[in-house]
Amino acid sequence: MVMNDPLRREEKKESAPDRQESGPSSPDVKRPGRDDILKRMKKVDPKQSEKYKQRTGQ
Amino acid sequence: MSATVPLLGLETEYGVVRDKVESYDVVEESMRLVRRCEMKSEFGNWAYSRERSHQDMRGFNVSSLAQDEEEDSFCAEDRKRPYSYWEMKSDRVLENGARFYNDHTHPEYSTPECGSVFQLVAHDLAGERIVAECARLRNQEGEPGSVQIFKNNTDYIGHSYGTHDNYLISRRLPFEHWVERLVPFLVTRQLYTGAGKVGTELRHDNSFSGLQLAQRSDFIETVLSIETMTQRPIINTRDEPHATANKYRRLHLILGDANMSPYATALKVGTTRLVLTLIGEEKLSPPVELENPVNDIKTISRDHTGTVLLKRVDGGTITPLEIQESYLESVEKNLSGQCKEWDWIIREWTRTLDELQYHPEKLADRIDWAIKKDIFSRFMESEGVGWDDPWIKSLDLEYHNIDPERGLYRGLEQTGDVVSMFSEDEVTRAVKQPPEDTRAFVRGLAVTHGTGKIKNIHWTGIEFTDGGFIDLSKIVTSADVEHLLSSKKEQYPWL
Repeated sequence: MVMNDPLRREEKKESAPDRQESGPSSPDVKRPGRDDILKRMKKVDPKQSEKYKQRTGQ
Repeated sequence: MSATVPLLGLETEYGVVRDKVESYDVVEESMRLVRRCEMKSEFGNWAYSRERSHQDMRGFNVSSLAQDEEEDSFCAEDRKRPYSYWEMKSDRVLENGARFYNDHTHPEYSTPECGSVFQLVAHDLAGERIVAECARLRNQEGEPGSVQIFKNNTDYIGHSYGTHDNYLISRRLPFEHWVERLVPFLVTRQLYTGAGKVGTELRHDNSFSGLQLAQRSDFIETVLSIETMTQRPIINTRDEPHATANKYRRLHLILGDANMSPYATALKVGTTRLVLTLIGEEKLSPPVELENPVNDIKTISRDHTGTVLLKRVDGGTITPLEIQESYLESVEKNLSGQCKEWDWIIREWTRTLDELQYHPEKLADRIDWAIKKDIFSRFMESEGVGWDDPWIKSLDLEYHNIDPERGLYRGLEQTGDVVSMFSEDEVTRAVKQPPEDTRAFVRGLAVTHGTGKIKNIHWTGIEFTDGGFIDLSKIVTSADVEHLLSSKKEQYPWL
């Protein structure tokens, strides 16, 4: 395995490689659910994490 | 099934609370949750005598572990309880071959042994369903407040609990061979396996605010250790193969996060298995040696770009992305085209690293930390609050709530806003049925048909009340499973 020591290749912010779309299907990019999740988030008790106490596990 | 890394498993300790009450007993809540399980199971007969948790991969035994002290402490402090430590554990082995019990006051679901990554992810999701159903049943009992369960790894004040990934590997190669080649990969895989965490829990430095990539990174204190509750390591050295000891090791990794995204779980286990395959087949040259991998874990977790500079022992520097790309390159060169699952892992690993580099916003439908970054940022903009607001930490916790009515990830699933990998039918099948090509199949059959006849049960075998014993320690391949089924049929007609 060869690794470069790019001191420091300035990040080449090229466009992403043209790869065939693959894997599981992605949801609609408009993300309609992100409005619903905002509503759900607003219902969360702001102090919930401060009350959350657990014992150490592994 | 991979010959080099034939079996995989995941153990998940869940967080449990009873909310809307002044106080509650976490020992009771965890124990009663496990006891509420209605699945067909073998209860209270886990064979602890077959555990070997004090043997170290480095060739020595330790006299005690932190978990022993925890047990002693429980026995000393909780003598007034009407049950013993072992009764408190409430061990169950389920009909799908999994183990479900109360481990150190956390309900723990250990998947059955799986031969494929996708099978394992389905069983991890099955665990979520089983634990959630137990909580639903508990909440029908009319007690004040409600039980809430979290698939995460921290309480934000320094108490961590684990999600361990396990891989059966060969003992032929020295342990150091595996360690040397694996550490840079493990330190950097959090780029896509991190579940995200708001804030920091480092004892000596609490100056960080914002979102970390990973929940466990603050808790990793050393490269190698047999401990799991203190001095947590990058690679755990517990030498307990749960298989023929002179042929196999079980690599027990405790640095990982509990992922809500099944895609992230698949990438975590899939990429790790492929890297282990390369190492086991001696196709991976020694990678770059990092000067301080323990510090690097924390540094990487605090940067969302994968481009932070890490110091190498040879004096140069390298970025987490470059390390991952280097492993990917070797995997692609040596392992592509061998099976559909491996090709999926290679393709998605490539896509994920590309998108992290060029379009990180695209990760916000499948990589947990990126999902959190997206939705929390929207929330902060909407409410005019910042990362330091306790509300954001509370959202972080609620992301991991497995209650369909409350959990934030659950909400995103319901609106189809995150990548889905399995149908509900596939997950339901994993709740009920063990993998058919691993020894878990035999264990599942025994639980289903052996009611009242099992004296004790373990990953490595089943002892029956009539003195019979099925040794599972040598059952590794699907051919081993088939041979056992046919050879024992006369003695155990239910096989």
